[in-house]
Amino acid sequence: MSKISENNLETTTNKAEQSSRREFFKRTAAYSVSAIAAANILAPAKLLADDENIIHHTEWGTTLGDELNKYPYGIPSAYEHNVVRRTSALLSSAGDMHAAVSMTPLHELEGIITPNGLHFTRTHNGVAHIDPNKFRLMIHGLVEKPIVLTLEQLKKYPAESRLLFLECPANGAAEWKGPQFNSLQFVKGMMSNAEWTGVRLKTILDEIGLKPTAKWMLAEGSDGSEMSRTIPIEKVLDDAMIVWAQNGEALRPEQGYPVRLMLPGWEANLCVKYLKRLEFGTEPWYCKEETSKYTALMPSGKAIQHFYPLEVNSIITNPCPEKPWSDLKKGDLVEVEGIAWSGHGTITAVDISFDGGDNYVKASLKGLVLPKSWTRFSYMYKYEGKPLLMQSRAVDDAGYVQPSITQEKAIMGLEGVYHRNSICTWEVRQDGSVHNVQVRTDNCPK
Amino acid sequence: MIRLNNKLIALGASVIASTLLTTSAFAATESKTEAAPAGIYKATKDALDGGVTYKRSNGSYTAYKVNEQSTKGVNFGRAPTPNELKAWDVDIMPDGTGLPEGSGTAEEGSELYDKDCAVCHGEFGAGGKGYPTLTGGTLESLKNQRTCPGKDAPNRTIGSYWPQASTLIWYIRDAMPYAHPKSYTPNQLYAMTAYLLAENGVKIDGKDITELNKENFKKIVMPNRNGFYPNIDGPKGVENVRAFYKDPKNFGAVTGTRCMTNCGKESVAKIANEITAVVPPYTTVRDLPKEDASKGAASSPAAKAYEKSCAVCHKTDSMGAPAVGAKAAWAKAMEKGMDKVNHNAINGVGGMPPKGGAMNLSDDEVKDIVKYMVESSK
Repeated sequence: MSKISENNLETTTNKAEQSSRREFFKRTAAYSVSAIAAANILAPAKLLADDENIIHHTEWGTTLGDELNKYPYGIPSAYEHNVVRRTSALLSSAGDMHAAVSMTPLHELEGIITPNGLHFTRTHNGVAHIDPNKFRLMIHGLVEKPIVLTLEQLKKYPAESRLLFLECPANGAAEWKGPQFNSLQFVKGMMSNAEWTGVRLKTILDEIGLKPTAKWMLAEGSDGSEMSRTIPIEKVLDDAMIVWAQNGEALRPEQGYPVRLMLPGWEANLCVKYLKRLEFGTEPWYCKEETSKYTALMPSGKAIQHFYPLEVNSIITNPCPEKPWSDLKKGDLVEVEGIAWSGHGTITAVDISFDGGDNYVKASLKGLVLPKSWTRFSYMYKYEGKPLLMQSRAVDDAGYVQPSITQEKAIMGLEGVYHRNSICTWEVRQDGSVHNVQVRTDNCPK
Repeated sequence: MIRLNNKLIALGASVIASTLLTTSAFAATESKTEAAPAGIYKATKDALDGGVTYKRSNGSYTAYKVNEQSTKGVNFGRAPTPNELKAWDVDIMPDGTGLPEGSGTAEEGSELYDKDCAVCHGEFGAGGKGYPTLTGGTLESLKNQRTCPGKDAPNRTIGSYWPQASTLIWYIRDAMPYAHPKSYTPNQLYAMTAYLLAENGVKIDGKDITELNKENFKKIVMPNRNGFYPNIDGPKGVENVRAFYKDPKNFGAVTGTRCMTNCGKESVAKIANEITAVVPPYTTVRDLPKEDASKGAASSPAAKAYEKSCAVCHKTDSMGAPAVGAKAAWAKAMEKGMDKVNHNAINGVGGMPPKGGAMNLSDDEVKDIVKYMVESSK
């Protein structure tokens, strides 16, 4: 541009012509100024202040960006650095972060896919780093042809992909006796949803021949905790998978790289990571994580063992304590949004209450509605600037309705730790701030 | 009101009294209920876990298309060798399958415990260090419910809770000591297990445990052996599980129609003492992360300005400009001296416009960048 102008000036010898051009520019400039002045006079008294972000060139618009492949494995914008998993020493032994849990930032997620770097993580002996070249999977016991597979051989089996949630059965465990954390991330963040790819276990078993006497399967991990669980054959033959991919790429080490078991809808703890061995037998194994832990102690003093499915559940993600309605004005139309899921089947409906469960309206489901997967729900709400007690209640196609806290604790008591799926309540205060509260009837005399 | 009564029945008799108090408040108001809508996929409520299953038919499984060609003949992998099976098939089951040869005394276990375990699990397994408490629980404590502040919690320890001793020896062998699992010999394993069971007051044939081996181990009956349900043992085990899940009351599930209006009000419990100790701390701010001091040194302002304004031409020699790192090209440029190189950078030379076109840079900033480029090309 500047070069062309220079050339024009050099080839122009007629001074008069130059002078007339200058006059033209001056006149144009003067006109512009007066036009702006006129606009100011005509504008209403409350003229909006100019947004500096619009008036001026931006830094990124006037400089060269990064080379396109500066990060051969892409990373999020530096501005997103607070969108991360979080931990709390109170959810671990003595603050030790090898046997602990990290929570997914549900308040920052959109849709139903959890990015792999944000998938919640629970480990019992730290995150193992397995050499895929040394990985072996052994399948034996009551089968006709026991086998050993390398990773490459396993991945040769015909693959299927499923969008499935994984939830730690202790999700929300801190909240049995009352609300503790004031954040969506810590109230419900021990869960994520991803597209998992692998082979149906049935496909392998059809080939190696499961003996009719087999009733149970032992799944054993290869990490330092050798995490293992017993699974009934019926689930193995229905929809169990051995998966090696998560959202299109290899499993992350935190999720069991290179291979984990996937039991759709069941406790994430049953979906054994760092998978090493599957053995078929006639009797259950009584692994540590299905006796000492992951059993639900009931008020009778007896405990439920082999507690598999994560029951129908839901949570409002917008608003939430981290994403309040402080910026809303009375009369604003706003979307209430959330996630519903059921390990028993597919979500059929979600109801929303604004008065702590006295009255409900029906929300709309939106996006993909899939079995044992997060399902988004939506409700358009006219904000009145008044305090609210917001709840969501999900229903699934097995006919289960998400219970209230009072209903759930009437059966389960307060010490079961696991499978807490009762309705959550967000209190929206006058100022639009959002707080974790519980609507419940307790029997403790004051 | 009829439907509300149904709901109460589903809740079980133990809570009717307390729930009636809340329902009576709105008994006069008619409430509206809604049946559960049908699912969008054809489902059969026949799953073992009380849920539904979906069939694969006509090339579909719910919303997923599936390949229905036969997979018969897909056969990768090989048979495990006897030694491989011996190395990996070592799980220890309640009937004693998998127990290693060897023996150990509770006394030996006590010494080993003090050395390897007390740091996390406390003296004599009494806890207090934040890691699981291993001893001291009672079966009676399992009925404890913290319905009021100050009430005791159930005390779930090896002796009061674990149903099988096989679980303990198997778990210790594979997963303990915590930082160096799988390091115990069979004798150490028996010693440690004997010590922990003895500390928990577990007996064999009514006598205190002093020594454990493969044979007497099989005689152990844990105090809470019958503390769990459904019964998963024996030929009926799986069917017991199925029967358990058939009844929603068993696991706190609610079925049937749901109340839509005038369902009743309950009290609101607020957070008493908020847990705020989370890492990293809560924030939803979108800003640039604070510079890591170590990274800052590696990326000086001059280096950053170079990346932004100069690298497009100087990163390689393809633009005719001397590439940063090309020693010969820069040695030649420097023959005329630093002052001349700075002058050219500020005023332009050959195909390069003044300051490389980055007129926002001061002369001193350009000189800093030139210095960085020269230093990086020595």
